[in-house]
Amino acid sequence: MLIFSVFKTLTDQRVTVELKNDLSITGVLKSVDQFLNIRLDSIKVLDEARHPHMMAVKNCFIRGSVVRYVQLPAEHVDTQLLEDATRREAANQSKR
Amino acid sequence: MDEQTPPPPDHGSTPPPPPSVSGSPTDFLKGVVGKRVIVRLTSGVDYRGVLSCLDGYMNIALEQTEEHVNGMVTNRYGDAFIRGNNVLYISAAESL
Amino acid sequence: MDPSSTGIQEPFDLIRLSLSERVFVKLRGDRELSGVLHAYDGHMNLILSDVEETVMIVDAVDGTLEGQGTVAKRKMEMLFVRGDGVILVSPPSRM
Repeated sequence: MLIFSVFKTLTDQRVTVELKNDLSITGVLKSVDQFLNIRLDSIKVLDEARHPHMMAVKNCFIRGSVVRYVQLPAEHVDTQLLEDATRREAANQSKR
Repeated sequence: MDEQTPPPPDHGSTPPPPPSVSGSPTDFLKGVVGKRVIVRLTSGVDYRGVLSCLDGYMNIALEQTEEHVNGMVTNRYGDAFIRGNNVLYISAAESL
Repeated sequence: MDPSSTGIQEPFDLIRLSLSERVFVKLRGDRELSGVLHAYDGHMNLILSDVEETVMIVDAVDGTLEGQGTVAKRKMEMLFVRGDGVILVSPPSRM
């Protein structure tokens, strides 16, 4: 739930999603759900020469399970807040 | 493997019966905490270290860990968390 | 029962104690990361900053010695890592 919240705070920011098949897509994060499925707008594929079939694609839905990494805009991530929230969530997890 | 079957759990004041072929997997796991173990991953990589603890997903915390690939030490870690889905087996590396 | 010298009771304690510290992460696909840990969850999804990724590239020629493959390195400022790719996380050594 915590990571889901983090992604929600990053909507309308530019992120780079790297998939497990090595395809990297940069785009504006439009929405995310609890499975960390991701919708991107105004997308650009990093290595267009290797993925010419992606050139006409302007937006996409990425299934969460195929994501390897998401590069986030560091200036929009409050690391102190994240650590506090993580500790809080960890405390709640071990309670049950 | 050369490990002995672990004794069943201690029930208060009842003296633990001698090691036998009985004992559930859970008993084994309880018995190896704090002992030297070999954790083999599905990839074939081995981790040898002292088992700090583990949870229901077989996530594992090891201390003084050596990573072995094809019989050679490829890394050492003071502490290591291993994600449970990668675990093939846990083997006792000392008598229980 | 007998909590070891570090006093951790469940594996995730090891990760919790590494928050805001640099950790080593081993991933599927011959990848390794070094980065400062800021968040994680029960799936081992991670958020790391100041990340260096190392990808081990196995040479097509077989019979080469272990560890002789080339490596590719790159840096990333802030990175979400999906937990299903994680094999191992090691905190900074406290030996």
